[in-house]
Amino acid sequence: MKQEQSPSRVLEAYTGEYASGKSENAVNRAVELARQGRRVTLVDLDLVEPCYTLRPLKKILGEEGVSVLAWDTGELVGLGETGNILKPEVQFCLRHPGDVILDIGYGASGVQVLNLVEGAAEERDLKVYAVINIARPMTAAVTDIVEHVRSLKRVDGLINNSHLGEETDLGFVQEGARVVKEAAVVLGLPVVATSVMEQLAAAVGETDWYGHPVRRLHRYLPQAFW
Amino acid sequence: MEVLPKIPKSWNLETKPHKFCPGCGHGLILKALGQVIDELGIQDRVVFGCDIGCSLLSWDFFNVDSVQTHHGRTTPVMVGIKRANPELIVVAYMGDGGGYAIGSQHLVNAATRDDKITVLLVNNTNYAMTGGQMAPTTMPGQKTETTPYGRDVLEAGYPMMGPEMVSAISQDGAYVARGSVARFRKLKEYIKKALENQIAGRGFSFVEALSTCPTNWRTNAEQTWAFLENEMTKQYPPGELKTPTGKEG
Amino acid sequence: MGEKPIKGEQKAFMTGNEAVAWAALAAGAEIMYGYPITPQNEIMQYWTRLAPKYDKKFLQTEDELSAGFTTVGGVLAGRRAFTATAGPGNVLMQEPMSMAEAMRIPTVVVVQQRGGPSTATVIYSQQEVTLTCFGGNGEGLRVVYSTSSHQELFDYTIKAFNTAWKYRFPTFVLADGYQAKMRESLVLYDPQEKGQKMVPTEAFVGKPGTPGEDRAPAHLRNTYNIEEELMDVLSKDIKEYEEMTPEIIEYEEFNTEDTDLLVIAHGIVFRSAAMAARELAEEGLKVGYFRPITLRPFPREELRKAAAKAKQLLVVESSYGQLLKIVKDNLYGMDVPIKTHLRPGVGITPEEVVADVKTILGEEE
Repeated sequence: MKQEQSPSRVLEAYTGEYASGKSENAVNRAVELARQGRRVTLVDLDLVEPCYTLRPLKKILGEEGVSVLAWDTGELVGLGETGNILKPEVQFCLRHPGDVILDIGYGASGVQVLNLVEGAAEERDLKVYAVINIARPMTAAVTDIVEHVRSLKRVDGLINNSHLGEETDLGFVQEGARVVKEAAVVLGLPVVATSVMEQLAAAVGETDWYGHPVRRLHRYLPQAFW
Repeated sequence: MEVLPKIPKSWNLETKPHKFCPGCGHGLILKALGQVIDELGIQDRVVFGCDIGCSLLSWDFFNVDSVQTHHGRTTPVMVGIKRANPELIVVAYMGDGGGYAIGSQHLVNAATRDDKITVLLVNNTNYAMTGGQMAPTTMPGQKTETTPYGRDVLEAGYPMMGPEMVSAISQDGAYVARGSVARFRKLKEYIKKALENQIAGRGFSFVEALSTCPTNWRTNAEQTWAFLENEMTKQYPPGELKTPTGKEG
Repeated sequence: MGEKPIKGEQKAFMTGNEAVAWAALAAGAEIMYGYPITPQNEIMQYWTRLAPKYDKKFLQTEDELSAGFTTVGGVLAGRRAFTATAGPGNVLMQEPMSMAEAMRIPTVVVVQQRGGPSTATVIYSQQEVTLTCFGGNGEGLRVVYSTSSHQELFDYTIKAFNTAWKYRFPTFVLADGYQAKMRESLVLYDPQEKGQKMVPTEAFVGKPGTPGEDRAPAHLRNTYNIEEELMDVLSKDIKEYEEMTPEIIEYEEFNTEDTDLLVIAHGIVFRSAAMAARELAEEGLKVGYFRPITLRPFPREELRKAAAKAKQLLVVESSYGQLLKIVKDNLYGMDVPIKTHLRPGVGITPEEVVADVKTILGEEE
């Protein structure tokens, strides 16, 4: 992915609907930055769905040079029923030098979860991106996406992450880009990127059909369990 | 000069620092309980039961025999232990779900039977551990994962006034109080009186502790404290609701 | 208010729990009762988010006993009512489901299996088979569908309502924590638009008219005075259960003609078993599979037919023999050797099944 300039510090929070692809996008972004030689901390702020997000990937990501702030699966007794526990370091994650990527889980309170991060409210360089997959019925239409993003309150940009898993074809990703772009116009927000799974990304190129930068996604999350 | 905080002797240092979220009230409540166990000198006699939920994290918190039970079943397990060996001092530690939802029948019956146990219940207005669903103590209008538009009392019912209920149905020898982690010394005093009540064999004892859950409330420190001190106390007034009358057991 | 949740066919990407919520909506379910327990919370969390838009009702009960009994109540009132649970909640659910069995009340329950026994793990297992099939204090006169994909979770949740209301036995959709949380694509649809008629519901209580004057009163009970009375009622239910069995049973099989090894698996483990079997068949090995989709009633004759053509069987499950027990019971009298791959509470990959099959077949050379 091209970068116009190398920003001094990348602070991004990935939010969105349940299963919209926030974690996958956050993880890939962290790895991308680490591969550029940058110092990156990836923060697990998924407080509603324990177990199935960042934790099991800690080791794999560590090998990529990404520092992960999340409990180790074995550290907490009954990490099934329990596991919705905030690791204290997460509170001060913005104080880590280098880039910080936050994975904000879903929830009835949207990005209010940033209240739990010291300095997040004041940090204007922290960009909050809403990840949208139009294959999810509640964010399939422009009006629904607009309503959803508005309910999140603080959002700085949209990411088109439209896909159907194994059944994805480029036509679907393009339709997603079109719909998300339309919603972005209504919201007055930029479309930061279109994320495409790596098998299809080459066919799209550096930018998508509407000029949005393309981010290649390697699927890390399915390794999170099984 | 370095002044170190006094860690209760009954605490298990191997499991510290504990795993509760930053800003969680459990740490304070368990500190109060630990200090009380030390002051009453009962570490060798206490059996500590915890429920399913965040209380589960306290299963290896103390150097005290502890049993993790099932959701809502901590009260009957502690009753079973106490009936079989009355020398033990049993503490049933649970959350609002374990006490007022799935465990409510056990709470009601233990109180009515006047079982000589101590129930210590943590009220943080949600089912925190499983991701923030509605609890019996969720307040009207409060958003949770199963009341995403705010608790509508006409649909989801009204909050449970636990100590008030226990007070009404328990016997003369019972001790019932509601404390708050915002008023630590009072909370500790209530827990101490509750355990003393059990040691003296006077009757059932129950303390509800108003507690914080910034993780699920999604609040910063200031907002957390405001919710506890200003909002929760409006619905759940702290204080002693019942102190024992009558002869010593 | 009251608009149709799904119009036409919609390709979607979601978790299994969401698929269940959308299927219930598509089936015209009107009310859900439930109690939080991982890993099925998203079913009720999605239902509560969608409920106001589609005029649906919800009650979070005080526990699973109540969730089961309130669901029974909802059905008695003539509504498509359902609930969902897992693990320890499933244990509690057995009391209300016993009542449903006894009184022929068409409840629908979705079970997302987690580790057992007791609290164990919230993640996954296939350890609730015995509980879901036979967990009450009765003969297990129930219908249990075991799904292995999100499309099936959607299809069978809709089907569960129809099976329940047509045959009047409590009906279960049995999945697990992996299916609940995995993300997959599927096609959402409105069954009516596809020509699938939804079996109409009927009130047990509260029908129009004054009882005793305009109509007979409903006097519903689940208790009897003497043994013979009970025997009469049960005989009737058992007879109906056996008669409906051929209409209900579902299964899938592959490469069963003259096989050296027939792999038997259900639910998500079937996916691994199927991949393994197909891979090995392509390599030229005589390996096939048999998948029961209905665990209750079990496709007994079909399994016996397939097993008769196999030199040996391999039962693969994430439990210590709950499917194995059912298989053995249904194969009684046949002497085909049965090998097992039993991993209670742990997932099973296609690679593991392939390795196991190769070992077994290798040993026979």
